[in-house]
Amino acid sequence: MSRYVMVIDATKCMNCKACLVACQQRNHVPLGHARNWVRQTPDVSSPLGFAFQPGACMHCDKPLCVDACPTHATYKADDGSVVIDKSRCIGCGSCIIACPYDARYKDTATGTADKCDYCREYSAPGEVPACVRVCPTHCRTFGDADNPEDPVSLLLKENKQVHVVAKNCDTKPSLTYLNHTIPTDWPRDAEIPATVKAMEHVATGTRWLGGLALFGVIGVFLKQLVLPSDREHGPENAHDDNSRNDQGGQA
Amino acid sequence: MIRRHSIWGIFLHWGNAVCWLFLLFSGFALLVNPEMSPVGEWWTSAWSTLFGGLYPLLSAHVAVGMAWIALCLVFVILRGRKEALPFMKEITSLHPASDMTWCMRKGLRLTIGEKVMRRMGMDPALPPQGFYNAGQKLAAIAAVVSSFGLIVTGCIMVFAGTHAGTEELLRWSMLIHFCCAGIMAIVLPIHIYMAALAPGEGPALRSMFTGFVPEDFVRRHNPLWFKKLKGN
Repeated sequence: MSRYVMVIDATKCMNCKACLVACQQRNHVPLGHARNWVRQTPDVSSPLGFAFQPGACMHCDKPLCVDACPTHATYKADDGSVVIDKSRCIGCGSCIIACPYDARYKDTATGTADKCDYCREYSAPGEVPACVRVCPTHCRTFGDADNPEDPVSLLLKENKQVHVVAKNCDTKPSLTYLNHTIPTDWPRDAEIPATVKAMEHVATGTRWLGGLALFGVIGVFLKQLVLPSDREHGPENAHDDNSRNDQGGQA
Repeated sequence: MIRRHSIWGIFLHWGNAVCWLFLLFSGFALLVNPEMSPVGEWWTSAWSTLFGGLYPLLSAHVAVGMAWIALCLVFVILRGRKEALPFMKEITSLHPASDMTWCMRKGLRLTIGEKVMRRMGMDPALPPQGFYNAGQKLAAIAAVVSSFGLIVTGCIMVFAGTHAGTEELLRWSMLIHFCCAGIMAIVLPIHIYMAALAPGEGPALRSMFTGFVPEDFVRRHNPLWFKKLKGN
């Protein structure tokens, strides 16, 4: 099985933003949103006076967005990419809050969350994404990290791997920068919305109380079969009931 | 024989039963996240296989949900004054002390039995009940409140998704929808047992098909209602 990753040599980026335009055109990204970005940071050591850091969804190995999704419309695919099954997304935005990289947005036209999926919606999985294809300096490389002959594998092998990680939670991002990139402290704290966390407690409560109710009534049913305790309810004992103060019944 | 349920009431009851069971089972299957699934991954996988995927299952859940809402609306519009309002009045006429006693004693009678209760010095006699007993009233209140919550939040989830800035509303709707479904998951097994499987409940179960209960059954189970009928 392939394991797709994106590798970025940020020192090659000249901030032309061709990757942004290509992505928006290829994936019909709505105005005001973007699936990828180029961060610009003042850097005196750079000839341009700025350091550029291209980025996109980090396709984390421990994605918090997946943990935050009640329906698992967002899931980690077998090939390593984090993707969205839009037919199952109700647009609650939990994944958008959970992503420390703000790599997600809500597409109001479809009412679903959206993000970089390595362009798989409009091509086959594993095909080179639009941002990689158009980069004039080849700072982005995409490929199968489990294939030793893939250029991505060689780059990962020959260079120091740098990851941008959230301070409060290491989601194990698979997007890898080569040797050096700044800044690395920009991701915000990763968090799962309180309402979604509460659903975990509701699930536990429902499991235990619903189970107790179900097995309780099965137990009482079996007990009543063997040792009936409400004899006066039976029509055969109806004559006894006149002397009893019983007004039971169904609920 | 005394008429207990109208044709409309019977139709609504069985419509509710079919819709609720399907919506509860399919809804739990749609919570795919293992941390939020009340049953387990096997449940999702079984329903997904049965429906050929989670999208068809979600579509069926929404379609049945809408059909159920339509059923409730038709009932409220056509039978609001004659049946829905009297029903609401009846289930909300609570008598806390008597109702609590009924629930506790009925539960003990079914579990440890009358003889053991007497041996322990407890009185097994149940307080007299009206058209609905205390258990029925509590179950009905839970069903009405949950139904209202399920309908409102379900509609929000279906229709509000495409509007910007509704994410927080959708998350709250999802939580409330799940809470209401959870309440029904606890109430339904108890209701099904008490109404259909408990000893001596045959006439009550049959009345949900025929609409009629024997006079003697009413005299024993609903003496306050019986007194009212005879008084009239």
